[in-house]
Amino acid sequence: MKTNIKLSARNINFFYGNTQVLFDNNLDIPSNQVTAVIGPSGCGKSTHLRIYNRIFELYRNQQATGEVLLDGKNILADSVDILKLRHRIGMIFQKPTPFPMSIFDNVAYPLRLHYKLRSKEIEERVEQALQAASIWDEVKDKLHTSGLALSGGQQQRLCIARALIAEPEVLLMDEPTSAIDPIATLRIEELVMQLKERLTIVIVTHNMQQAARISDTTAFFYKGRIVEVGNTDQIFTNPTNKQTEDYITGRFG
Amino acid sequence: MQRADNTFRFFCFACAGIAGLLMAAIFAQLLIHSTETWEHFGLSFIWSCQWDPAQDDYGALPHIAGTLLTTAIALLLAIPLAFASALLTSESTGWLNKVLSQCIDLLAAIPSVIYGMWGLFVLVPIMQDYVQPFLAQEMGLIHLPGCAWLLGEDGYGSGFGFLTAGMILALMILPYISAVMRDVFHLTPAMLRESAYGLGCTRWEVTRDVVVRYGIRGILGGIFIGMGRALGETMAVLFVIGNMMELPAGLYSSGTTIAATLANNFAEAMGLQKSALFALGLLLLLMCFAIQFASQYYLNRISKYRSDAL
Repeated sequence: MKTNIKLSARNINFFYGNTQVLFDNNLDIPSNQVTAVIGPSGCGKSTHLRIYNRIFELYRNQQATGEVLLDGKNILADSVDILKLRHRIGMIFQKPTPFPMSIFDNVAYPLRLHYKLRSKEIEERVEQALQAASIWDEVKDKLHTSGLALSGGQQQRLCIARALIAEPEVLLMDEPTSAIDPIATLRIEELVMQLKERLTIVIVTHNMQQAARISDTTAFFYKGRIVEVGNTDQIFTNPTNKQTEDYITGRFG
Repeated sequence: MQRADNTFRFFCFACAGIAGLLMAAIFAQLLIHSTETWEHFGLSFIWSCQWDPAQDDYGALPHIAGTLLTTAIALLLAIPLAFASALLTSESTGWLNKVLSQCIDLLAAIPSVIYGMWGLFVLVPIMQDYVQPFLAQEMGLIHLPGCAWLLGEDGYGSGFGFLTAGMILALMILPYISAVMRDVFHLTPAMLRESAYGLGCTRWEVTRDVVVRYGIRGILGGIFIGMGRALGETMAVLFVIGNMMELPAGLYSSGTTIAATLANNFAEAMGLQKSALFALGLLLLLMCFAIQFASQYYLNRISKYRSDAL
């Protein structure tokens, strides 16, 4: 079976001011798969992820060159509407980021922002999104209480529901379980594996077991360069590169 | 060592204690000197409109109303300005924004008597010749129901009065409110902001739905700080308020505030009038205390709230 390439980074170089932190990154992200990005702290894996929804552009001193193709179209081009782009590419962060509003309003927020829907429809979509993020059963009786009162793992799944309601094609996850306990982490990992049925996932993680458990493809970053990309099983059992091998066997990082 | 430590502790305690004692002493002094008024008029002093030294009949309502009206005008004008300027200087970078925020901070360094003089010689004539007629006639506000009361029968004023005083106060409290708001905007966690942008929000949507919601208590605290200053401001108001001891008869009418009355009348006041002035002072102090407590409450709440979330 031939896999489609959903996202494709071409010759990406990235700069913080005058300091270059990414060097000639080339990476193909296959459709409806989980792609894990691993590497030691400071290797540029989060920076790489932040190119795909152009969130780095919030900061004036950050700059990227190269191309990122989403379904073959360059999304780094000036003509691209970044608000629409971020609609197609959702993002989840290191810590849960519920907004200071109720659970329902958190999830409904992107809908209300972009569409004029009847409240009945909004309620249905909110329920669907909460179910897709497998948190519906835990919150269905307290939809109108504050999202900040949930546990860390629940907050993160709430944020996933909020990202899903806009029906993005790609979900970027930047170490989504780094602030969450092990049991809640397993639930999120299960969720990620379910979600690849409906969208493409790129997950940055410092947890190699996590990458091995949930991803189909793994990219190993070191000092701003992509050292090795390949099938996850192959990367973890039979890496071709010495640096990759040293990292996954725990010799550094 | 132990001894030096104890001495230092005693020194610090004494310094802090003096502040507390002074506070209590001022309060007690106002209370003692105003007892005659409270005995003579009772609480009706607060809602009586008289101020007649010949009959020795005094009431606080015009002063209280004037204080509240000028403060309200000042807040109405200053809050949007402070919000916009704080937003500009915190959300975007660049040298022009830095210069602008410095300028706003410098407004706080202008002595209030300078504001008063500027108000009297520059703002009052401009208000009389241009602004007041423009608002009333050109914009046609005078024909709107309810506005006739606000602007007076014909929409012309002397240039003195509540609107002018409120405008000067707005300028004076703007830097305080703006500085607190700027801090509040900076406190929003970057990740929370990014996650809103990540959903496809515009800058305004992020500000409205995330930054302001997140910092609402701090914003209220900043507004209360400005309000406390506006309530007690004396000199600048004195120059332009018109100093009539009557209830406000519209935005263009002359009137007085508690602080202006105190400054104008203490020199020649005797007997019951003097006591009435102390009673006014007590009322002002109580109002300012209440505002101060409210602002501290809200500003404390944000630090607690912040340690919970993110």
